[in-house]
Amino acid sequence: MLHEFLPAGGESGTPILEIDDIHLSFAGLKAVDGVSFTVHTDEIFAVIGPNGAGKTSIFNCISGVYHPQQGSIRFLGDDLLGVRPDRVADRGIARTFQNIELFPQMTVLDNLMLGRHQHVGYGTPSAMIRVGRAAAEEARNRAVVEGIVEFLEIQHHRKSFVAMLPYGIQKRIELGRALAMEPKLLLLDEPVAGMNVEETEDMARFITDIKRELGIGIILVEHDMRMVMDLADQVLAIDFGKPIAVGTPSEIQQHPDVVRAYLGQEHAIAETGDTT
Amino acid sequence: MTTTAPEPTITLETPAAKLRQWAETAPDQVALREKNRGIWREITWRQYWESASHFAHALLSRGIEPGDRVAIHSENRPEWMYTDLGTVAARAICLGLYPTNPSAEVEYLLQNSGARILVVEDQEQADKVLAIPAERLPELDLVVFIERRGVDVYDDPRLVGWDEFLAEGRAHAEAHPRALDERMAAAEPDDIAYLIYTSGTTGPPKGVMLSVENTAWAGKLLGSPGGLVDPPPNQDDMTISYLPLCHVYEKALNVWLAMWYGHVVHFGESIDTLTVDMRDVQPTIFPAVPRIWERLHAAAEVRLASASPLKKINAGIWLKAAGYIGNTLARTGGKHTVVSRVLLALGEVFLFRALKERLGLRRVRHGVSGAAPIAPEIIQFFLGIGVPLFEGYGMSENCAVATTNGPGSLKLGTVGKPYPQIELKLDDDTNEILVRHPAVFEGYWRNEEATRETLDEDGWLHTGDVGEWDGEFLKIVDRVKDIIITSGGKNISPSEIENSLKTSPFIKEAIVIGDRRKYLTALIGIEFDVTSEWAQRKKLPHTTYRDLSEKPEVVALVQRAVDETNEKFSRVEGIKYFRLLTKELDHEDGELTATQKVKRKVIEERFADEIESMY
Repeated sequence: MLHEFLPAGGESGTPILEIDDIHLSFAGLKAVDGVSFTVHTDEIFAVIGPNGAGKTSIFNCISGVYHPQQGSIRFLGDDLLGVRPDRVADRGIARTFQNIELFPQMTVLDNLMLGRHQHVGYGTPSAMIRVGRAAAEEARNRAVVEGIVEFLEIQHHRKSFVAMLPYGIQKRIELGRALAMEPKLLLLDEPVAGMNVEETEDMARFITDIKRELGIGIILVEHDMRMVMDLADQVLAIDFGKPIAVGTPSEIQQHPDVVRAYLGQEHAIAETGDTT
Repeated sequence: MTTTAPEPTITLETPAAKLRQWAETAPDQVALREKNRGIWREITWRQYWESASHFAHALLSRGIEPGDRVAIHSENRPEWMYTDLGTVAARAICLGLYPTNPSAEVEYLLQNSGARILVVEDQEQADKVLAIPAERLPELDLVVFIERRGVDVYDDPRLVGWDEFLAEGRAHAEAHPRALDERMAAAEPDDIAYLIYTSGTTGPPKGVMLSVENTAWAGKLLGSPGGLVDPPPNQDDMTISYLPLCHVYEKALNVWLAMWYGHVVHFGESIDTLTVDMRDVQPTIFPAVPRIWERLHAAAEVRLASASPLKKINAGIWLKAAGYIGNTLARTGGKHTVVSRVLLALGEVFLFRALKERLGLRRVRHGVSGAAPIAPEIIQFFLGIGVPLFEGYGMSENCAVATTNGPGSLKLGTVGKPYPQIELKLDDDTNEILVRHPAVFEGYWRNEEATRETLDEDGWLHTGDVGEWDGEFLKIVDRVKDIIITSGGKNISPSEIENSLKTSPFIKEAIVIGDRRKYLTALIGIEFDVTSEWAQRKKLPHTTYRDLSEKPEVVALVQRAVDETNEKFSRVEGIKYFRLLTKELDHEDGELTATQKVKRKVIEERFADEIESMY
């Protein structure tokens, strides 16, 4: 179980990320327009919306890549606005990317070990002679990475170069690297995009297991509606950067504005069974 | 007046009693190793017995009586062994399910066996049993899960975790320290210890009942001179447990033989990591099915084909030498000549050692091929590079005890000589192979009719295989039911032709057709990985299995392999036409059995159009 080697999220239902009315625009184009929401520990929070609705922009605001012109983002009570992306990561927010961002010419193990870099507390001299703290930390880091390898069932790919691996496996490794950072909040940007049914089911299982075994907060941006509705505790629907609705999957599925914007008018009529 | 009852004495040699004995005589020696999170962890004989006996005590505390059935549905891992030997210790009957068995087959096997307890590995296997309505499995009281992930949130009252179950056993052992010894001391030679289900190529699987005496006799004999592993295994020998433990082959090697001779059994991380695990362990005894030997052979060829030009020249020379050595050994019956011995020693230095190291075969002193027929070319290749590889023959119904080749007693294309101390003959009329010895099974579970058909009054086992003598060596012609009789009246053994086709690294499956037809044809499935690599080298773009199979270049490639096979056989045995399968055959789709054997009937129905198009 993951909690044997990774820190758990703490008491279930504690707010960890509070986003209040953020606005982001590029040269007058509104990418995020007044979005507010709160993510708790032990919660999968999904953000849905059509292409270009601003989902990834919200991720980029949280992880410090973009700086919203207005509003506030608080993580564990501290203001995140203006904090550099690497510092955001240090505070316990890890992410995966829509397009895989691994080091293709490195092995799976090395890519995962990179996820441990902020847990390396020793300097170059002791690293060079591999003694004392360096050796102990290296062993601990390796133990965490091995636990993740087992969790993601990629033992047979340990020493493979990432570039040689199938897409679905690379997506797993990216998730593994994010886990290796011991996050309190995990941002997953379209984790099953381009995957086949079996790979999607595997990924859904990993995400559920992470939530269940660690109880950390997870934000999920995803197009696969079946997956969102199955996994998410809360869903935020946005369109053109504007929030349309927040609620449980079943509330969102029935919300007229969401149906109109996202699922399409025709679908809504069929759903209500209205034949007039 | 009180008297203390005498200490129970365990005299009967059962697999469980042997384990208990190892724990007393060699408590701190390593018995098992398991690779876990990248590290090989050791389990001593004492720890081995402790876990198995706690499992047994837990069975007692749950009221398991002698003769009750305990099932396990898991990949190979130490818990499988604890379940197996703990069950036998409690005088209950252990049966294993193949990890690939889908829910419907799980239902059949649990119903047929009437198992009271099922051990499942993880959520995947738990889901299969929980999908069956409980009322359809009235005898199943308890489902013990090994991996907690995902299962511990289920609320089925039958579920209990492995650790909790063993804790029950530990508590029972403390409260009743002699209960298990008493149970073991009461064991009888004809106690049924195992149900090994046949793979069911023709009908539903049948449970082969094996008694304690069967296993003890087989366990001892398989390691005797002239047995399956010769010279016998010892505590310095190492094996990897990766073939399914519910199959008699793996059971004989890594449970019975290990209990009687004490070699160290290794469990890798998964079947996918076998290549790496083999390189780590470098086993000394390596039993495999032909499919694995074929893959190792293909891996060696691919490896050498992608080497640098200089290495290729070196490999070319030494593979020629290997061919010569293999030929010599095939001719002499496994005895080296001076030349072959010198060539082997030189070849070790220049190629073989490095090649074997990569394949994980460097230390193999005894390799076995069994469970299905293997092409002689494959054996010759391995003999040539210095891997002693011997084909043997046996089945669940005789505890895998029938015939084997061995060092200095070898004839390619045969399954070797009968073991010492057994009787083996061919039926006068049908040439069916008949076997009689103390490890011949007790009958099929709850199926007297099938028992009567297989086991006659004089104790002869009718194997269903047609044989032929080649001197003292036995040759398997085919399954009685698979023999093809062409419309010209000629009897043909399809498996010989199929195996020859499968020596091509590009061919994974071959099914020869021709019963009551004018000529032979074949359905052929390509080996995707190897063919795909070939296609990449030829700059042939492709996507799926189907797409690759439909490429004219691939068809031509297979045609060449078919032509090569045709040259080796007589005209009537030649394959006139073939079609490539456009999907990989699969257990879940009902095309293969759990042991990857082709279900001919299913294939012939499913691909009827393709077959008809060839006639």
